Amino acid sequence: FRFKDSLAEELQRADLVISHAGAGSCLETLEEGKPLIVVINEKLMNNHQLELAKQLHRDGHVLYCNCSTLVETLQSMDLSTLKPFPPGQPEKFALFLDKAVGLK
Amino acid sequence: TGGHTTEILRLLSCLSESYSPRHYILADSDKMSEAKIRSFEQKRAETFSNSQFTLDRIPRSREVRQSWTSSVVTTLYSILYSLPLTYKLKPDLILCNGPGTCVPVCICALLLGLLGLKRAIIVYVESICRVETLSLSGKILYYFSDYFIVQWPALKEKYPKSVYLGRIV
Repeated sequence: FRFKDSLAEELQRADLVISHAGAGSCLETLEEGKPLIVVINEKLMNNHQLELAKQLHRDGHVLYCNCSTLVETLQSMDLSTLKPFPPGQPEKFALFLDKAVGLK
Repeated sequence: TGGHTTEILRLLSCLSESYSPRHYILADSDKMSEAKIRSFEQKRAETFSNSQFTLDRIPRSREVRQSWTSSVVTTLYSILYSLPLTYKLKPDLILCNGPGTCVPVCICALLLGLLGLKRAIIVYVESICRVETLSLSGKILYYFSDYFIVQWPALKEKYPKSVYLGRIV
């Protein structure tokens, strides 16, 4: 792969996704309901990108490792421990905004 | 830009047609957002017959990790550039979610308000990526927005004036 516009096709066919901690990659994968292992490279990333990956891990939605522990993680992983990721609720935002601007 | 655009389009997805016409403001350097926006609006036009939107570009106020002093200069330039556009649009509501692009527009809207020309409601939604710290735009607009929405509880604790609705994108 070089750069494709969308990985949606590949994502649908995948059984497991191993990704960097970019928010778009993580969220897209979780929304597709695929198990995800996030690989962190602390040297490359600035702190804020880690925040989401760490939180998703804390909430039990992703597995988490760095480059050197990836093989070990793959060998010992138990994907059944991963919790499903409920979708966001933009309806709540719409309700809030309607009240804020005085529509309701 | 990128992730911000995806998030903001999700925020818009459940809004009624009262929120029309929609005026999108992009950074001049943003290559990918326009296609996403047009695609969103096209789908919307299939449901709502009178759906209207416009698209404008302004100079990007700050590149990632740009130095402090040059950021002030480029942001000032973006503000001056955005003033005629903001005056022309006279928005009732500004919805933004974090790219540097939003700061000049909001500042212009505040100026218009101070001058008694138009008072806009400023709603800021911090990105879902921000779990424990605010973006720079967020830190600035926390004080200048009418409603400041965060998507994780840790931020609600740190920034008590914010609104927490859970994950909304």
